[in-house]
Amino acid sequence: MTSLLTDTGTEPIAEERANYHALNALLNLYDADGRIQFDADRRAAHAYFIEHVNKNTVFFHSLKEKLDHLVEEGYYEEQVLADYDFAFIKSLFKRAYAVKFRFPTFMGAFKYYTSYTLKTFDGTRYLERFEDRVCMVALTLAAGDRTLAEHLVDEIMSGRFQPATPTFLNAGKAQRGELVSCFLLRVEDNMESIARAINSSLQLSKRGGGVALSLTNLREAGAPIKQIQNQSSGVIPIMKLLEDSFSYANQLGARQGAGAVYLNAHHPDILAFLDTKRENADEKIRIKTLSLGVVIPDITFELARNNEDMYLFSPYDVERVYGVAMSEISVTEKYREMVDDKRISKTKINARRFFQTLAEIQFESGYPYLMFEDTVNRENPIDGRITMSNLCSEILQVSTPSTYREDLSFDEIGKDISCNLGSLNIARAMDSPDLGHTVETAVRGLTAVSDQSDIGCAPSVERGNAMSHAIGLGQMNLHGYLARERIHYGSEEGLDFTNMYFYTVTFHALRASCRIAQERGEWFDGFERSAYASGDYFTKYLESEWTPRTTRVAELFADAGIHLPTVDDWRELAADVARYGLYNQNLQAVPPTGSISYINHSTSSIHPIVAKVEIRKEGKLGRVYYPAPYMTNDNLEYYRDAYEIGPEAIIDTYAEATKHVDQGLSLTLFFPDTATTRDINRAQIHAWRKGVKTLYYIRLRQQALAGTEVDGCVSCTL
Amino acid sequence: MTTTPALRGVPAINWNRVTDDIDADVWDRLTSNFWLPEKVPLSNDLSSWRTLTADEQTMTTRVFAGLTMLDTIQSTVGAISLMPDARTPHEEAVYTNIAFMESVHAKSYSSIFSTLLSTDEIDDAFRWSEENENLQRKAKIVLDNYWGDDPEKRKVASTMLESFLFYSGFYAPMYWSSRAKLTNTADLIRLIIRDEAVHGYYIGYKFQLAAAEASPERQAELKDFTFTLLQELYDNEDAYTEDLYDPLGLTEDVKMFLRYNSNKALMNLGYEALFPKEATAVNPAILAALSPSADENHDFFSGSGSSYVMGKAVDTQDEDWEF
Repeated sequence: MTSLLTDTGTEPIAEERANYHALNALLNLYDADGRIQFDADRRAAHAYFIEHVNKNTVFFHSLKEKLDHLVEEGYYEEQVLADYDFAFIKSLFKRAYAVKFRFPTFMGAFKYYTSYTLKTFDGTRYLERFEDRVCMVALTLAAGDRTLAEHLVDEIMSGRFQPATPTFLNAGKAQRGELVSCFLLRVEDNMESIARAINSSLQLSKRGGGVALSLTNLREAGAPIKQIQNQSSGVIPIMKLLEDSFSYANQLGARQGAGAVYLNAHHPDILAFLDTKRENADEKIRIKTLSLGVVIPDITFELARNNEDMYLFSPYDVERVYGVAMSEISVTEKYREMVDDKRISKTKINARRFFQTLAEIQFESGYPYLMFEDTVNRENPIDGRITMSNLCSEILQVSTPSTYREDLSFDEIGKDISCNLGSLNIARAMDSPDLGHTVETAVRGLTAVSDQSDIGCAPSVERGNAMSHAIGLGQMNLHGYLARERIHYGSEEGLDFTNMYFYTVTFHALRASCRIAQERGEWFDGFERSAYASGDYFTKYLESEWTPRTTRVAELFADAGIHLPTVDDWRELAADVARYGLYNQNLQAVPPTGSISYINHSTSSIHPIVAKVEIRKEGKLGRVYYPAPYMTNDNLEYYRDAYEIGPEAIIDTYAEATKHVDQGLSLTLFFPDTATTRDINRAQIHAWRKGVKTLYYIRLRQQALAGTEVDGCVSCTL
Repeated sequence: MTTTPALRGVPAINWNRVTDDIDADVWDRLTSNFWLPEKVPLSNDLSSWRTLTADEQTMTTRVFAGLTMLDTIQSTVGAISLMPDARTPHEEAVYTNIAFMESVHAKSYSSIFSTLLSTDEIDDAFRWSEENENLQRKAKIVLDNYWGDDPEKRKVASTMLESFLFYSGFYAPMYWSSRAKLTNTADLIRLIIRDEAVHGYYIGYKFQLAAAEASPERQAELKDFTFTLLQELYDNEDAYTEDLYDPLGLTEDVKMFLRYNSNKALMNLGYEALFPKEATAVNPAILAALSPSADENHDFFSGSGSSYVMGKAVDTQDEDWEF
């Protein structure tokens, strides 16, 4: 007998043929009539509870006994419960259990119990049901505010709001990591900063989600050290160090450390940086698990258009000439000037070849992510410069450098970035009795995470969080919602809906942040210098009325009883913001939503589905099969997958949402393996032109060669 | 010095005159599927490897030792023995690729071993593979045919190996993967399965071409040979499966899988299935885990999966850059 709960294979399957894994796998196989076996998955979820979960859950006679035990044994944080009297806590749990929640898919239940729920320290028994986890999250975030606790329970139990993994996994537990999802660190061109970056990567991976680092400012391979030429070994060895750091640190084994590094396209090491992901890269330089991102300014596109060479500039020299690090200047603005400046050493590559190389590497590895630097900074309402993004390419915030003394202590603490995320399920949010209230509750929940976070191990991140209270409200289940309403993803109506939905959510998110500022008499640092304070931000909403272009979308909002903000509403809001400020420097960011969209039974983010029945492989899960939400054998036509829909419609959908989102959106592009690098380049050009801020993975799908596929397999033939 | 007569009139391979489109298709597929074991972060499986019981570890280790041997045979003898009878120069080129990839597969198992096991344990596993009668007999049956002088029979044996004999071994990693264990190893094996599926299909196809041209008597002989060989291999495979899987009580389930794949091998050779549907009711979790198409989804917390391929580079044109 094995002992861990993730080991669901304790008994030989021969004894028990119809086990839940087998039932779940039937989803991927057609029945005798060629129909998808949705029922098998529901039976799998049921069987999973009967055969596994119920048998392995610790039983308590009462809530009191349970909570006392969990606090005494060091499972729950005592302080969280001490903020409330027991009668209220009991009523809150009753409120959650009254919803009669059931996991609609095997994937959701399996994911929840393997990755989120509280287990005994020896890992053999479950201590929480879904309702318990939700209540602990609500009690933690509300920090004694009963109304907020009740609102959070209502929003999470109804599936309208789902906090991101770090929050949902950790809140209320005594032995836990941070509640924050994501960290972004600058690295400056000196050994102290590099050492700090590695230390922070270790510390932050140990505690929370992903860490991204900008390497743009580091001197290139062959640059001088202490004026002696050809000394520096460039960014690759640092990437190696970081990669090893991330694989070493994990959050109590709950989540593997993961990291990304960003480099400007005009950094001289750019080609070596990309080559680390080549299939035939030498082991010494090969990067396996670190994610890569490239920062691309507008000038690179212009040079490629003119089929010119692009110059790469030594960050070492740039810093000496301009007195600021390379990431602090706009390469687009200074390009011609730097080309003509003899003091800056430079090399050149062909710009079109550069884009082609990008696409080649993306074919082989899915990387790098792209960030369109000038678009991002044009659309940034906050004073300061955005130089990088994060592990999922949706966080876009300003930062400032730190300086260090020789012993690695801070000389001046700069501003680094953290972000905590949570997403609304668009379909459920549209069903909400009060969308504005749903958004406000989500914003308050996310703000609580920022307020409660105390990242002492990385002072620059702590300072950044204290100054900005940045949050990232995301969205998921767009495709599920559209299909439920029998609208095709990427159609005129689909685009119209996306625009109006994000328009409405943006209004409510700003209003919520303004209310918090008003209540507390406090706004984020730098508000006075932002486009919110000057009112410039609101111009686009005040100049003309935003209304649905199609009658179908107008009906959807009317039927849902959702009021679309008018110019008058915006005018009032702009005045309130000018008067009270905003509490949160950043409000929205649309993450890719992996795990939480399974638990919530929604489609990921605002992407199309990747398959009608998705095969999910995760480190801890093995292969599990997941059906798209609201899908039946009768509405399959609305579930065209991302490869069929193609990059253009996805980009157009994201462009509609991007207009309203202050940070970024993780946008994955999907291609069949018959695509060429040119197709990928064209999609990238289209995205850049459409004002998309970042591009996330490139995904490829290869069809089984005719004659080699598995008979009757849903995912191979659809 | 004398000139070698063979040098005169030796044709150079012209890929602009492809007589059988399948050759080009398979070549493209195989080359775009190129991979090396280093791309899979096998060390992520260490923690789940430690959760396996001693019996489970032994079974898994032996499975991989057995697979290593089969891949070695296929690489150094099998694929090469098919070359002299190639119908087109392109077919020959495809076999060189197959031979090379089989070596990559054989080396991959060593990557798995060196990640999960100590040197002593590895040596034990190889010793076992040399001493296990059923495994050795399997090798002998196949090798006898490879060394024999009938080109079609070589193809039959080769297809049996690619489409049938590997799978008693592939069952184990698919089984673990469906139970959330050794998932990166399973990824690597899935890359191998992706290749073997194409190999078996291709060699079977070339056999069918040859068989179609043969006389009725010869056709009957080949069919008879195929079914006799399958029976012989199946009986041996039965016993081999018992050696491997009896301690875990999985044998019956693996046998379903064997029968399923022996039907698949026959299908590749253009023959009807031998086993009825009820006898091939593979556990759906295994069957679904097997799918060679690359449509699974994963994130950066997971391994790289089995989905990426080498791309085709095409220059962008001026019209792409009009903005």
